Amino acid sequence: MAIELNINGRNRRLEIDPAATLLEALRDGAGLTGTKYGCGEGQCGACTVLVDGRAVKSCLVSAGSAAGKKIVTIEGLASRQGLHPVQQAFLDHAAFQCGFCTPGMILGTVALLGQDPNPSAARIREALQGHLCRCGAYPRIVDAVRAAAKTRESRRG
Amino acid sequence: MAECDALLAEYKRRDFLRVLGSGALLSLPVRGAERPVRVRAGEAGIYEAFTGKIEMGQGARTLLTQAVAEELGVGVERVRLIMADTDIVPDDGGTWASLTTPETVPAVRKETAAFAGHAITDPARWKVLGTSVAPLHGPEAVTGALQYCSDVRVEGMLHGRMVRPDAYRARLESVDDAAARALPGVQVVREGDLLGVVARDPQTAARAAGLVRAQWREEALPAADSLVERLRAGAVAPVEVKETRYPPLIRGGDVEAGLASAQRRLSASYWAPPIGHVPLEPRAAVAEWKDGALTVYCGKSAPFLVRVELARSLGIPESKVRVRIAMPGGAFGGKQRSECELEAAILARTAQAPVRLAWTREEEFWVAYARPAGVVDIESGADSAGRLVAWRFRNYNSGAPGLRPPYDFPHMSNEFWRSEAPYRQGSYRALAATLNNFARESHMDEWAHALRQDPVEFRLAHTGDARLKEAIERAAGRFGWGKRKPGRGVGYGMACTIEKGARLALFVETEGTGAQLKLRRMVAAGDFGAALNPDNLRNQMQGAMIQGIGGALWEQLRFDGRSQLTHRLSQYRVPRFGDVPEISVELIDRREVPAAGAGESPITLPAPAIANALFSATGERKRSLPLAV
Repeated sequence: MAIELNINGRNRRLEIDPAATLLEALRDGAGLTGTKYGCGEGQCGACTVLVDGRAVKSCLVSAGSAAGKKIVTIEGLASRQGLHPVQQAFLDHAAFQCGFCTPGMILGTVALLGQDPNPSAARIREALQGHLCRCGAYPRIVDAVRAAAKTRESRRG
Repeated sequence: MAECDALLAEYKRRDFLRVLGSGALLSLPVRGAERPVRVRAGEAGIYEAFTGKIEMGQGARTLLTQAVAEELGVGVERVRLIMADTDIVPDDGGTWASLTTPETVPAVRKETAAFAGHAITDPARWKVLGTSVAPLHGPEAVTGALQYCSDVRVEGMLHGRMVRPDAYRARLESVDDAAARALPGVQVVREGDLLGVVARDPQTAARAAGLVRAQWREEALPAADSLVERLRAGAVAPVEVKETRYPPLIRGGDVEAGLASAQRRLSASYWAPPIGHVPLEPRAAVAEWKDGALTVYCGKSAPFLVRVELARSLGIPESKVRVRIAMPGGAFGGKQRSECELEAAILARTAQAPVRLAWTREEEFWVAYARPAGVVDIESGADSAGRLVAWRFRNYNSGAPGLRPPYDFPHMSNEFWRSEAPYRQGSYRALAATLNNFARESHMDEWAHALRQDPVEFRLAHTGDARLKEAIERAAGRFGWGKRKPGRGVGYGMACTIEKGARLALFVETEGTGAQLKLRRMVAAGDFGAALNPDNLRNQMQGAMIQGIGGALWEQLRFDGRSQLTHRLSQYRVPRFGDVPEISVELIDRREVPAAGAGESPITLPAPAIANALFSATGERKRSLPLAV
């Protein structure tokens, strides 16, 4: 069985059951291991990807449900110009320890800033409540998200 | 497990003796005759350095790279650090007990300085150490390129899945695997009580595992509410041991005489339940056999211990086992042993192909070992001047780390009583130091209130350690201790410790009680001696305290007479964004003092500080963790 998905701007044919989760399709089908398995029940946010710009927990949806939509994973976020401002902000603030939550956290942030370009600290905490960081880098992550929002604003000019 | 635990004890003993300078190597070099290299000149002006330590987010890669770069007189970009591949790196012991900073850094500096032909660099002249070099794994972490152990793939790899009983302990009696074997490419592996399947992809493996029908003979677990009494009843009194990292008996004066002559006495018991490590990444391993030799890729923090365990369990020499560490997505003391690795190796041996085995979150919760439950009984006495003169402290089952009080008690006996626990238990970040500090710092608070003394003044009066005093006073000042009165649901509390060489103090402000308990503020100070990487120290200290909020307020694994009942994240609360208070950490940097590690000690602070704050708000003393239930 196979399925065609648009991942990071490319159409890809993956040898995987369309009933498999989007997480399995990305990791096992497409070999994109930047998207992480943490719990399999939507509790940790480590598997978060963007589907048509919205943050989706890829362990909770089928690969088939993402067909025909634009999927962005952590591997597709940087551009030829360099890191995405959210990636750069996480790096600048060392907003991680082990980094296992970081891909999902970054994509959750990109989705948040898409909806709310200048979120307060309280809004950031609320929006990212579904993302676990077991190393406890939360305050740094909030700082990184605010810095990323500022960068995006100044670029918009 | 008994044999494995004897191995662990032996490995740790060799580790300790090596550090004492007895000259005993942890393990003999087994592959090739040459001693492992520490540092060498590579190509294009790059130096290669080698260590048995692993990176798990605590900053060992960055810190050890800084140490090498410092002694070579180059920037960190000219050092490539190869970590934790048992065939090519020196055995630096497990990455545990906060030893990388106080032991591995000095060893690496010394050997690198010798390689460079000079004496080790005086701390006053450091250019790379003592600076906040950003985490070297950062660029890969933010792009998804960082390979964790569950991301490892090798050529021709198959996928395994274990078939497990529902019961916590069970022996395998019979198997009907016809339906599973009918799926294409599926093999069923049975060896003793181990039962698993191997398939071409993980989805088929999961389906096949679900089709295996197994009969298990279950073994009952003791009733969960009998655990406290069981731990006390089955315990063995400690004897004095000098040559060990965590002495199980620390005495001074004559505690019985001290208690007998005290003007006033207090006794109390404190409890911590078994809790899970809950690393965000569940265990995973890839096992590959070639010509009778095994290579295992995994995310364990004690690669050489895993090698010994695998060799013994599989009946092959250590020279035939190579353990290669890919970074674990969090470990917290939970990833030291070789369970998942052994299962993968057995599946791969039968399947005659490399096998990847990635545990599910459910397996990570209940097949893995837990932080030991423990009871602490304290008997103490004060003289007529309000000074504590006698202190008898007994920890049952949870361990000896953190037994030594930071206070000057003229008569004391601090004891770890080993016991039999019915659950799989093992290491955990700071291990018993968390319960020991919870008990000790709660008890100190009880005394301060009983004697109508200020808890901060009471502690300062009982310690002669100037660095601890400074940490307490600095944090108290920034917190504004004593400026506002607790009440109306708001509480103020503090705790301090000397743990693994660090001096720490934490002040907290709480609001509400029970399930409604909320942390408003945490103000802490930490003195780790020379701050080798200040920003990473702050990150570690803050992170450990945040992680400690979970164990303090909510975490406990639940059991009934048959199984562990906690299997999923939705059944187990750990700290999230909304649980984190306003938090401020101050580092006290003492360049002239040998550096202490920071990975563990700060996690021991939140539980007692919060319990003490709750008491100030409500007058109710909570002596059992978790507090917010």
